[in-house]
Amino acid sequence: MNAESRSQQALAQPPLQKTASEAGYADMPVTKVPGWYGTIAWDALLNGMATGLFLATAVSELAAPAIFRPVAKVAYPVALLLLLVDLGMLVSDLGDPLRFHHMLRVFKPTSPMSLGTWCLTIFSLPLTAAAGLSLLAELGWDFEWARILAVVLGLLPAFGSAAYKGVLLSTNAQPGWKDARWMGGYLTNSALLMGCGELLVLSALLGQTQATAVLRMGFVALLVVNLIPLSLLFADLRPAHALLYTRGQQWRVGALIAAGTVIPVGLMLLNGGLPFLLVAVMVLLVQSWAVRFVYVKIPHTSPL
Amino acid sequence: MASREMELSGLTQTNDPPRGLLAEVAERLIYPFQHGKAPEPQQATGFYTDTTVCIGCKACEVACKQWNQLPSDGFNWSGNSYDNTAELSATTWRHVKFVEQFSAEGSASEDVVSPESPFSRWLMMSDHCKHCLAAPCHQACPTGAIIQNEFENVYIQADICNGCSSCVAACPFGVITRSDMGGHSHKCTLCYDRQRDGLEPACAKACPTQSIHFGPVEELRERARQRVEELHQRGLAQAYLYGDVPTETYSEMHSFYLLVDRPSVYGLPEAPFNPWLHMMGDYVRSVTGGLAAIAVLLAVVFLMKP
Repeated sequence: MNAESRSQQALAQPPLQKTASEAGYADMPVTKVPGWYGTIAWDALLNGMATGLFLATAVSELAAPAIFRPVAKVAYPVALLLLLVDLGMLVSDLGDPLRFHHMLRVFKPTSPMSLGTWCLTIFSLPLTAAAGLSLLAELGWDFEWARILAVVLGLLPAFGSAAYKGVLLSTNAQPGWKDARWMGGYLTNSALLMGCGELLVLSALLGQTQATAVLRMGFVALLVVNLIPLSLLFADLRPAHALLYTRGQQWRVGALIAAGTVIPVGLMLLNGGLPFLLVAVMVLLVQSWAVRFVYVKIPHTSPL
Repeated sequence: MASREMELSGLTQTNDPPRGLLAEVAERLIYPFQHGKAPEPQQATGFYTDTTVCIGCKACEVACKQWNQLPSDGFNWSGNSYDNTAELSATTWRHVKFVEQFSAEGSASEDVVSPESPFSRWLMMSDHCKHCLAAPCHQACPTGAIIQNEFENVYIQADICNGCSSCVAACPFGVITRSDMGGHSHKCTLCYDRQRDGLEPACAKACPTQSIHFGPVEELRERARQRVEELHQRGLAQAYLYGDVPTETYSEMHSFYLLVDRPSVYGLPEAPFNPWLHMMGDYVRSVTGGLAAIAVLLAVVFLMKP
């Protein structure tokens, strides 16, 4: 075929459907997806685990010091470790990680990320103090008043650190995310639930029977309460999920997430032994990660 | 990304004085906290883009690339009319869009055809940042890198941005993009450097049909309204302005358009929504979720403690 006849054929058979071009850009995505991938799902999980463990421990210890003090002295260092890993992920996810501290040059309440960064930074100070003083107490240098002061000072920034994440992931223009009004409600509630579960495991490992008994009931109650924001979140996301997944896929994901609540509740009511506790909390953590992962994935796959 | 640009971006600038490691670290730590004096506010400026006279020559794209020294994005056939630019990006701040409205029989469908062109028509539009008055990217930026400069244009300070991508997620028009090269976000600056020197932006200067108008926003609005009236009188009843006035869900834009078809045909949201309208409610729900869990935990502790 010579060049001329190829050219004539091209004119006779345009490569595009004419109807598509009449619609112009109507079927193309308008927004750009930020580079927030799986790391963000892990970050949201670790953020909840760290802040939730601190908050659950602090609230329990301040309400019943005699029961929770021994386990609290282990929980704060664990929360600090979780927070450090989380902060590492947050920094590494930036386009220019060496500029992380630029977040601290201004305080902007209109920016959930600014609020979150300030809360996390402030929270890290009393948490480090509480963790350090807990470890010192184990070595014989007990500054109980200072440790309690650090715990009290950490309450508000810890709560802020837990509460900002969901708002960050819902206050934007991304398909699906922009409609998730209950993302913040779910994530903050879930943080406390995971924290209670972690504290329960630590209590059981340390042989704190009284604390374990109390936390076991608290864990079951929180599992049930968490179903409310979780259901509301899924109701928000239903239109987006309907576009992304088939009905069968939606049912399967829904069943898996429901199992993440039903199995831990069943195990807790069945037996309070350590293996049961461990499995229950592990199942909850897997479910919590799955919810976050499914959520983070929406704009990356959305045809909206 | 072309490999030459990647190679060049990795080179040390020759005019950087040699510094020790400590000096480098100290500079990196202190520099972002040094706030300069804000310039005196000037008359708000912007763009008014009349799509009815755009001929799709892409002179604006070229002028923008040239003036701002933006690297090439390579050359790819998109298969979408003459639009091989495809989208706005960190290295493409102007994007000429092409819409071919031709019916299979050679006459356009009734709902889109204009009396001026009874058989068919092209729609062309030079897209760019909208420089929104209440810009979601500006509200989202946690570093203060995104500012409204003295001309009320939305401007990214590239030396401050740390590539968190909050602005990318926030923009309802898909304008801002994080660069793979430096990891920072970039978009149209409305030629801030040229404006400071009293020059008009490069794209407006290069536009051969005066589709891109630059000037004080109020003057542009007046000019645009007159043009719409003129088009209506000539029988083009579909002509309207997009973004010139605020709506219930979005602020006015300092870069607005004269369109003759639905916004979505041009790749614009039908009714842009500022995500920040939901923020307070989302915080309330977030705090409620947390407080409810604390209340339950406290109730169990008080009920069960001996």
